[in-house]
Amino acid sequence: MALQIQKSFDQEENQWNIFPAGEVDIATAPAFRVALDEAFREKPGNMTLHFDDLGYMDSTGLGVIIGAYGRMKENGYRIVLSNPQENIQKLLHITSLDKIFCPDNCEK
Amino acid sequence: MTDIFKLSVPGKPEYVGTVRMAISCLANNVGFDIEAIEDIKVAVSEACTNAICHGKDNNGIFEVFCEMEKGKLVVSVVDQAGGYDKNKYCEPCLSLPKEGGLGLFIIRSLMDEVDIFTELGAGTKIKMVKYAR
Repeated sequence: MALQIQKSFDQEENQWNIFPAGEVDIATAPAFRVALDEAFREKPGNMTLHFDDLGYMDSTGLGVIIGAYGRMKENGYRIVLSNPQENIQKLLHITSLDKIFCPDNCEK
Repeated sequence: MTDIFKLSVPGKPEYVGTVRMAISCLANNVGFDIEAIEDIKVAVSEACTNAICHGKDNNGIFEVFCEMEKGKLVVSVVDQAGGYDKNKYCEPCLSLPKEGGLGLFIIRSLMDEVDIFTELGAGTKIKMVKYAR
C-alpha cells in the first residue's frame, strides 16, 4: 500500500518524467507532493506523470496534482498524465480533470 | 438477514489503506464487479479522509459500519469530529479546480445513494449505498 516514486529529467525534451507506483491516498499524498515540489525546484520544466503502475488514487492525489499544476502554470510549464488505469481514468473523468491533465485523452 | 461488520479506526492517515482493503474484501464477497469495488474503495476512502481531516486532533476514533445484504452494500462512516455547517458547503467548480473540496462530490458520483447527517459540535455520518448490477 505504499508509494514509490522514481523520477528522471529528460534534457532533450526539457521535462521531468515521474513514475509513481503503488497507491496515493491521505497517507502517501504528502510524499507525492514533496516529490513533485522537489523536482520542480531542482529544475523547472514540464512534467509527465507516468501512471502505468499507480493502482489507486483518490482526491488527495488529485489535490497534489492540482496544486502542482497551479504553480507550474504560473511559470509557463505544463503537467500531463500518461496511461492512468481505468479506476483513475474514471476519477479524472467525473471531476473533468481529464480535460486539463490529459489533453490527448487519458483512455488507452 | 443483514450482516453488519464494524470497524473502529484511529483517526490517522495510515489506517485508511487498511479500511480500504477490508471494504474491498467485503464488497467482493457481496458479489460486486471490479469497477464497483473500485468505486466503493474510493468513496469509503474519501469519507475516511474527511473524518480524519475534520478532526481537531489526530487522536480521534471514527467508525465504519458495513451492512451486507444480497446485492447491496451500505457503508456508514461516523466521526465525532465536530460536524460542519451544511449551508457553507459549496459544490466544487470543476472548470477552476482547487486542491481540496472534491471528496463529497466524488462520493456522490460513485455511490448510488448518499446521505449526510452532520451536527455542529458533535460529528458527521456519511451513509453510502451501492447496488450490485
